[in-house]
Amino acid sequence: MGEASIERGSATRKAGLRGHRVRRAVVLSVAFISFALASGCAKSSNNVIVFWQFSPIAAIQPVLERFESQHPGVKVQVEQLTWQSGREKIVAAIAAGRPPDLCELGSTFLPGLVADSTLIDLTDRVGDLRAELVGWNVSSYKGRVYGIPWMLGTRALFVNDNLVNEAKMSAGEPILTWGDLRAKVQAISERCPGARGFGMNAGEREILFKKFMPFAWGNGGDILDSTMTKSVMGSPQNIEALQFYLSLKPYSLLDRQEMHEQAFIKGRLGVVISGPWLIRKLAQEAPKLVYSVQLMPKPARDKGTHASFAGAEVLGIFRGSKKKDAALELARFLVKPENTMPVYIATGNAFPAAVSVGTDPYFDRYPQDARFLDQLKTAVGPPLHPKWVQIEEIVNGELEEAIYGKKTAEEALRSADQRIDAVLAAP
Amino acid sequence: MRRVAGVQGLAPWGLFFAAFGIFPLVYALALSFLAYNPLRPDLVRWVGFDNYVRALQSPSFWHALRTTVVFVVGTLPVTLTLAYIVSGLLAGVRRGQGFFRAAIFFPATLSMVVISLVFKSLYAEEGLLNGWLAAMGLSRVHWLQDPALALPSIMLMDIWASVGYYAILILAARKTLPDEQLEAARLEGLTRVQIERRIVLPHVRPVLLFVVLLNTIRSFQIFIEVFVLTRGGPLESTLTLVYHLYERAFYHFEMGYASALAYLLLLVVGAILLLQRRVLGGGSMEARAR
Repeated sequence: MGEASIERGSATRKAGLRGHRVRRAVVLSVAFISFALASGCAKSSNNVIVFWQFSPIAAIQPVLERFESQHPGVKVQVEQLTWQSGREKIVAAIAAGRPPDLCELGSTFLPGLVADSTLIDLTDRVGDLRAELVGWNVSSYKGRVYGIPWMLGTRALFVNDNLVNEAKMSAGEPILTWGDLRAKVQAISERCPGARGFGMNAGEREILFKKFMPFAWGNGGDILDSTMTKSVMGSPQNIEALQFYLSLKPYSLLDRQEMHEQAFIKGRLGVVISGPWLIRKLAQEAPKLVYSVQLMPKPARDKGTHASFAGAEVLGIFRGSKKKDAALELARFLVKPENTMPVYIATGNAFPAAVSVGTDPYFDRYPQDARFLDQLKTAVGPPLHPKWVQIEEIVNGELEEAIYGKKTAEEALRSADQRIDAVLAAP
Repeated sequence: MRRVAGVQGLAPWGLFFAAFGIFPLVYALALSFLAYNPLRPDLVRWVGFDNYVRALQSPSFWHALRTTVVFVVGTLPVTLTLAYIVSGLLAGVRRGQGFFRAAIFFPATLSMVVISLVFKSLYAEEGLLNGWLAAMGLSRVHWLQDPALALPSIMLMDIWASVGYYAILILAARKTLPDEQLEAARLEGLTRVQIERRIVLPHVRPVLLFVVLLNTIRSFQIFIEVFVLTRGGPLESTLTLVYHLYERAFYHFEMGYASALAYLLLLVVGAILLLQRRVLGGGSMEARAR
């Protein structure tokens, strides 16, 4: 009895000890989870403004520190989103009922949010800013303002002047018209071994309209009519523009944007449509490359405009924001030219929406950057329509079919016309 | 007492599994019967089986399903065959087996995002593969821009990334085969091919079945590769079911419809797994386990 009893007692003690350890593990797990949740909840304390944006933290932090020093007791909790997954993160936050107080939003994402009444109407609270900023058309719908223009982006032509010279064309003469563009890309493609004339986007359907529509807009075309109730994608102006665009295909490198930029950096691409970020890249990776930044071409010397794509990054406040007034205060601070220029200088991606930056001495020192300011004057943004996501998908899909030769320019645009009208007519 | 301790021991895992496994599964099932836009939760409404009916009537759904099936059918047999061959080669290596095992397993240690980014550079017009082709005097290939080549290019990458992992699994099963049994077979005059067919293959069959099931599930879920490399293009030639689901959920905010797509995918995968178990002899695996 003795030994068996001792063994049982020992086993019971061991089991008890194990049970105690397990209970302790469970308690610790629950405590850890509670702590983690509590830490998360602590983010929304009273004096903290949660701000989500796309610039590197190092670029925006000094500006936010200035805001904090001018607003004692207020803290800005900034988070950097990525263009790849920022959209999902914002949607998830709204769905969870915990959106940031202030958020940077891209112009192509904005219409969906406006359509779903996710953003608050700022019209009556930003009247004094109307004259100081440009880009309001991108953030307004039916006369109401849903975002404050912060940064504006556009695209221009980057021309490799070495290749232009090698192709026995005059690099000194800028590309003004569609004819100039075709002549130069054809010459480069035919006379410069190993080089292609033009970068035509392929394999990334989502950006095709940004590359084609500048030609259509410059030719007087558009996506929707002025009432935004009918598609005009099948207009003669658009068809003519797409026919011209497709005529560049034999002299083009068909690839994604980043590959175009790489080819341009390596001196193997004559002309590429890109944004100001390429200037920084070229300075770092190809300092000896001789190139020029030129306006997008217009159809002819006496016809059309130098239109380009205008993308705006606006500051929006969600209905679910806990600190709408403080967020608006921060937004008004951020859009001031003295606060946007440092961000542009640090990132080189998009230009301040403040009207007065045009006279900033920075642009005298960097004329290539200034070229983009000129381009912005004739740039056009996508329509702020609640069904823009569907419309954009149709336009991109039909353009892709045309680029891959599945449809002619006319077939693709007429098909887009019908499909967009069907979307607009649907409830 | 021991049972109670066991339950308590499982509690942390159970808690997480309930929160991050069971709850999302049930929540997604409920969502699949709703018209639900996460940006407008106030407008949520019950639509019954409408989302499922809409999916089954949608050409995009069938196109995405077809693309996914092509991906599975194209990668599974090649991956399995190569993994089996590589495991045999590894088993035969006498010196430096550790190095070769590590080398062959290496891709499995990498994130699929990293692998996809590396292949994105390799497949680029100005990338390494085209550089080699140009050096050999061949014309460049539009690996990811040509609608006929984009999906096979992704399949090739997926096979490269998967073979090592499955080869190590099969190698582990080979190692459990007693040396005496192989020696006896050799003494009886069986050739190497006969030994593989009559002794090794039946022995590793349960693991092969496991590899088939695992690879089928993984392949039907293909998303990262498409997201990083092609975004479903060109001309929707790489539009897989999960990428289609992602687009509906996060671009069109149709969470209810996307959930219905997810459940249809679950049904398709479940049916195929059952079929595979029946055809490939899942019963024998259970018998062996007993």
